[in-house]
Amino acid sequence: MGKGVKGMARETLLTLAILSALLGTVIVAQITGEGFVITLATKVAIFALAGVGLNLALGYGGLVSFGHAAFFGIGGYVTGILASHAGAGTAVTTLPFALMGSNEMLGIWPMAMLAAGAAALLIGALSLRTSGVYFIMVTLAFAQMLFYFAISWPRYGGEDGLSFYVRNSFPGLNTLVPVQYFAICMALLVLALILSAALVRSRFGLALQAARQNEQRAAAVGIRPYALRLVAFVISGMITGLAGSLYADLNRFVSPAMMSWHMSGEIMVFVILGGVGRLAGPVAGAAVFILLEHLLGGVSEYWKALLGLLLLAIVLFAPGGLIGLVLRRDRHV
Amino acid sequence: MSDAVLRLSHLRKSFGSLVATDDVSLDLRRGEVHALIGPNGAGKSTLIKQITGELRQDAGTIAFEGERIDSLDTAARARRGLARSFQVSSVIPAFTVLQNVMLAVLGAGGGVYRFLRPALRAPGLTEPARFHAEQVGLADRLTTRAAALSHGERRRLELAMALALRPRALLLDEPMAGLGLEGARHLTTLLSDLRHQAPILLVEHDMDAVFALADRISVLVYGRIIATGTVAEIRANAEVRRSYLGEGA
Repeated sequence: MGKGVKGMARETLLTLAILSALLGTVIVAQITGEGFVITLATKVAIFALAGVGLNLALGYGGLVSFGHAAFFGIGGYVTGILASHAGAGTAVTTLPFALMGSNEMLGIWPMAMLAAGAAALLIGALSLRTSGVYFIMVTLAFAQMLFYFAISWPRYGGEDGLSFYVRNSFPGLNTLVPVQYFAICMALLVLALILSAALVRSRFGLALQAARQNEQRAAAVGIRPYALRLVAFVISGMITGLAGSLYADLNRFVSPAMMSWHMSGEIMVFVILGGVGRLAGPVAGAAVFILLEHLLGGVSEYWKALLGLLLLAIVLFAPGGLIGLVLRRDRHV
Repeated sequence: MSDAVLRLSHLRKSFGSLVATDDVSLDLRRGEVHALIGPNGAGKSTLIKQITGELRQDAGTIAFEGERIDSLDTAARARRGLARSFQVSSVIPAFTVLQNVMLAVLGAGGGVYRFLRPALRAPGLTEPARFHAEQVGLADRLTTRAAALSHGERRRLELAMALALRPRALLLDEPMAGLGLEGARHLTTLLSDLRHQAPILLVEHDMDAVFALADRISVLVYGRIIATGTVAEIRANAEVRRSYLGEGA
């Protein structure tokens, strides 16, 4: 498709370049024995994954969710709860059926995604009845409700959070070796990006993006935005939930902070910094965020003020984010 | 009776004390262009919105192909083949011409919930979309983004989107607006052929186009239809001349 394909191809190349840079960093760090850098890169991959989830709703669906920390936190708590029960050898619940703890990532991920997806279905079904600033506020309110719920739930640590001592396992890998855990996170990030790219170009993606740009026109050709957006919101929440699960395993710790509005804001920053509605936007955004946190965080604890300035500059002068700055053309579709 | 594809019966709509639609009855018959004319503020757009379902009438009924559609929303009416163009062109700006028309094909056929296969590689979407784009003369603009189209081209794109809905009736809200002489002439020819595919309810200010196209004309003034008839009857109608056409017409 003429111009279209060329634009797409350039964006795909850029996505590959960014992923290669992340991978290259880890390879070099592995050779030089910089374990800390690998952990940072793992954090980038996980945050990027959370951002890929949000980008689906925010970038392609136009749904400015200020509550994605809810899904991130739910993914984290499902992981922490299952792992802590597995550690203690107790059941999570016996009603309506016995649910044992688990320390198998392959069992935990689907549960985390299912829980996050169910929450997204509920939150989305209600908040999608509003739009604009009300949508932002309603999603924020739901996330804050979950945040306070987690704080006041002593069984799983309440305010102090919940630790588990062994990272969950993955068949054939030793997840405690940083580079191996990075590989898992990176692979999931790549999968999510592939899924994202496919969704965006599918019939569903076409309709979703049409509804974002011109709701009245979409309705006039027989397309109902509400259900489309709800489906996008659920998929989005599930991906962010998976990221939350990985984050819990990275730290072997979950706490209510994962659900706080700061976290929602950070996920949003990854997307906006990198480029809203750009495939690799969240990856670039998360990488720059972690890099700044690492470089400037050591210099001053006020590094977020600088982050704020950078964000301001991006929003004012490069609304396409870092990706848009590199590609220098309006986003395609 | 059976000839009426779209039938409005005693529609009434008011906003506060302003009666925008006042007991309007009108039908659109198979194979015809029925023009709706009237001065600005007569309530033409309000009437169109009630037909498409964007506004709900206070009283009266709308029947489409013999069935009442009052309780259906806009999307459902569109899927039944009630296609429209907007007074101010309304397309998806970042989509290409082809993607815009594909969207209408998609909306008409359902199947929105298909997640993995690229839409651009689905011949079930692209082939009809190409066909309708060619139908309105946009064959060489398929990969151009709608935002980059000229005003006239965007008008034609809207028409292609309406045609892609496999319309059973077309509601065209001032399709000639801003087209210029050549563009209006071109569109007039196009619409003239389309009436056999689907009858057209044409809201239009361009009297040359109306007189060239219309089989029947209804005149709306202050929310009321003051006359309905053939072109000759309307031209001869004294009340219409006084309230709308002006003495020179």
